[in-house]
Amino acid sequence: MARRLGGAVFVLWATATFTFVVQLFMPGDRATMIINTQAGNLQSPSAEQLAALNARYGFDDSYLAQYVRYIGDLAQGDLGISYNQHQPVTEIIAAQIGPTIVLTLSALVLAWLISLVVTVLATGRDNAWSRAATGFQIVTAALPPYWIGTIFLVVLSVQLGIFPVEGSNTLVGTILPAFTLAIPLSGFLGQITQDEFARVLDQPFVTSSRTRGIGDLGVRLKHVLRHAVLPAVTLSGWALGALFSGAVLIEVVFSRQGIGGVLVQATNGRDIPLVTGVMLASAAMYIVANLLVDIAYRFIDPRLKSA
Amino acid sequence: MALAGCGGSDGSGGASGPKAAAIAAKEASQPRRGGTIEYGHYQEPPCLVTTWVQTGYLTRQYLEQLITVDDKGKFLPWLADAWEISDDKKTYTFQLKRDVTFSNGEPFDSAAVKANFDNWFSTDPTRRNGYVAFHVEDHIDRIETPDDHTVVFRLKHPHHPFLSALSQYAFGFLAPSVIKKGPEEWCVRPVGTGPFVVEKWNRGSNVVLKRNPSYSSPPGDVENKGPAYVEGINWKFLKDNTARWGSLKSAESDVIYDVPGVNWAEANQRYEILQHVTGGRPSQLALAVDHEPFNDVRVRKAFQYASDRRKAVETVFQGAVPYNGNGALSTSSPEHVEELEDYYGHDPDKANQLLDEAGWTERNGDGTRTKRGKPLTVRIVYGAGSIISGDGAQFLQVVQDQANQVGFDVQLKPITTAEFFAGKGRQPGEYEIQPGYWVARSAEIFQVVWKPDAKVPDGTVIPNANNPSRFQEPEVWKLVRQADRTYDDAKRTALYQEVQRALVEKHAVTVGAYPLTVTLALGDNLTGIRLNASIGEPIFNDAYFVK
Repeated sequence: MARRLGGAVFVLWATATFTFVVQLFMPGDRATMIINTQAGNLQSPSAEQLAALNARYGFDDSYLAQYVRYIGDLAQGDLGISYNQHQPVTEIIAAQIGPTIVLTLSALVLAWLISLVVTVLATGRDNAWSRAATGFQIVTAALPPYWIGTIFLVVLSVQLGIFPVEGSNTLVGTILPAFTLAIPLSGFLGQITQDEFARVLDQPFVTSSRTRGIGDLGVRLKHVLRHAVLPAVTLSGWALGALFSGAVLIEVVFSRQGIGGVLVQATNGRDIPLVTGVMLASAAMYIVANLLVDIAYRFIDPRLKSA
Repeated sequence: MALAGCGGSDGSGGASGPKAAAIAAKEASQPRRGGTIEYGHYQEPPCLVTTWVQTGYLTRQYLEQLITVDDKGKFLPWLADAWEISDDKKTYTFQLKRDVTFSNGEPFDSAAVKANFDNWFSTDPTRRNGYVAFHVEDHIDRIETPDDHTVVFRLKHPHHPFLSALSQYAFGFLAPSVIKKGPEEWCVRPVGTGPFVVEKWNRGSNVVLKRNPSYSSPPGDVENKGPAYVEGINWKFLKDNTARWGSLKSAESDVIYDVPGVNWAEANQRYEILQHVTGGRPSQLALAVDHEPFNDVRVRKAFQYASDRRKAVETVFQGAVPYNGNGALSTSSPEHVEELEDYYGHDPDKANQLLDEAGWTERNGDGTRTKRGKPLTVRIVYGAGSIISGDGAQFLQVVQDQANQVGFDVQLKPITTAEFFAGKGRQPGEYEIQPGYWVARSAEIFQVVWKPDAKVPDGTVIPNANNPSRFQEPEVWKLVRQADRTYDDAKRTALYQEVQRALVEKHAVTVGAYPLTVTLALGDNLTGIRLNASIGEPIFNDAYFVK
């Protein structure tokens, strides 16, 4: 456990350091950029104005001094003040991360449900339904979420009026964005699970279960599934991260609150403290996701409990 | 200039269509109280008080200015109910309305006005208001407050655009206690005297505006003299074009901003449209005169003749945005010279002839003209997604294609917003063309755009960042300053027109394209919205629901 925690801290430190180094190599003078962004147009700042800003944010200090101060603040949970929003970064992120987590988790659950239903019902049966299911997974895995979202919005919200156009953070408003993210992922998870499922179906213990008189669906659910989901479970940690970045685009389409809008605005405005904050929050999500995957593994595969 | 766009029977919906019926019902209705306006806006600002024009639409709802202006250019009272200009034109005295309070109870008085100006001119960049500074800082000597309700501006020299500047959106006043607390406070909890109060900002989603129940300072361009009719405005940020348009169609919004070009025809047929063509410098291409090839006026003229810009604007924007061929000034500014609109028509022969005369006679393997072995390459550096929209980028592509046909090698260099504001690719010598606009009400923008570079005492030069063409002809600047000091309307207008002719006809430093526009599409149940004559901010004082 201690090693795991150490690993997590290392990932956070590496992310923080990487973001710090990258911003040093970005073109342009940071103080000028802040002044221009705040004004919304190009300014001709005087030396006096630039000096005031450089002093405030410590841009005149050596890179090492800036780095030490930055890591020190970070260790105390102080992510600084956003350059453009003038609010503490932790507050901005705390206010926006909830809807993003709800969206990504709902999408992950949905993706699993869709892929499992298709896999259990269709794999290893040589019929039209099975081939259609495989085709469905190939097609959905290739669909870009942005496109799905726009089609959903135009057809189901604007034309048919079944769902709200403006995705508020209500349950109903979460349905379309969650499906938008879940559909491509379900195709992806489904393809992996299906391969494994087909392999396990041929294993001797499956045959022996059948000879004990367990029905086909029972065999599939009770014996095969547990084995077949392992590769996809492993990938779910990665998938959660992918959903998180997919949410950045989808939140704009459905006008949802969330970390995506914050990141876009922060990147456009070169709001370094805020970009760093969002990066760290994403890294933290990854760490938690992988931890959850480990725990899930132990439940699915009892052999790991003693290990 | 506010156009009540295509209202009534001239809309293609016909006199009996739902649009015509809705407009007739609106016209027959009387103001009613109640309801909350669902407003679908586009851009979300990073802070609720900035000088970006996109923030100005929002601040208009809670911050108020000394004066406003109508579409005939007449200045009207707002927080000041009267003003006087001394005979030498160097003293402007404003009488403030009495018994006006900020929505937190603080009195609005002369000290509050002074506190705001001091804050705007602050050397602290997080407080400074660059927009205000560009317009008036050079001209104000000092501000005096002889009593609670009198503010006196002592100018260094007569400056006719002073009133016009004060009527612009960036001059709205914050409560002094909020100024004291700084941007941490005013970015999220701005307090003004306006008809609405910021109740809550749900970042990434909306700003909840509530009616100010004790509102008592209506500007001269609204009819309702008391608090707003509606209970509030739900100001939503719908960045996605499909979502914004869909939100009007599904009636989730009562009014939306910026109808997407592809939906323009349908919007005009179905909905009441309000459009304001914003004044000042239109979207235009500034040609850099400080180095080859545009240091030669013949090459600049050749570039103007090379492309059919009028057709390009019509094709790209499908009627949603008009053409603005006079790059010096927006068509809506009162001093705009109409005959400069088509001064440079599409004439490839003339362009070729001018380039031949300028010595760009050889051609390389790509068909690009060369001179002494150097190709006729021009780089267009533009802020993609910020200054130039997706439609605007298409316009640039048309210009590129047509200019290439007469032997230019036009290279498009999109710059991200972050890099754009960091100044990437925009230092002198890094571009030949830079597109851009600068909103203002009128020709007062000339003294911002064409101000020569400043020299500080130690000899370093601070380039005027608002003048990307680097054109600094002393005689043109002299004309601008002369016009700014002329109080006779006819003479002043003539001088401003002379400036435009010099910029367009003689020096050809700016290639006209299209003006900035504010477009609102209204649902059938909402009426009474106005667009301010200055920058086109939506005004909701008179807005009400028909039923």
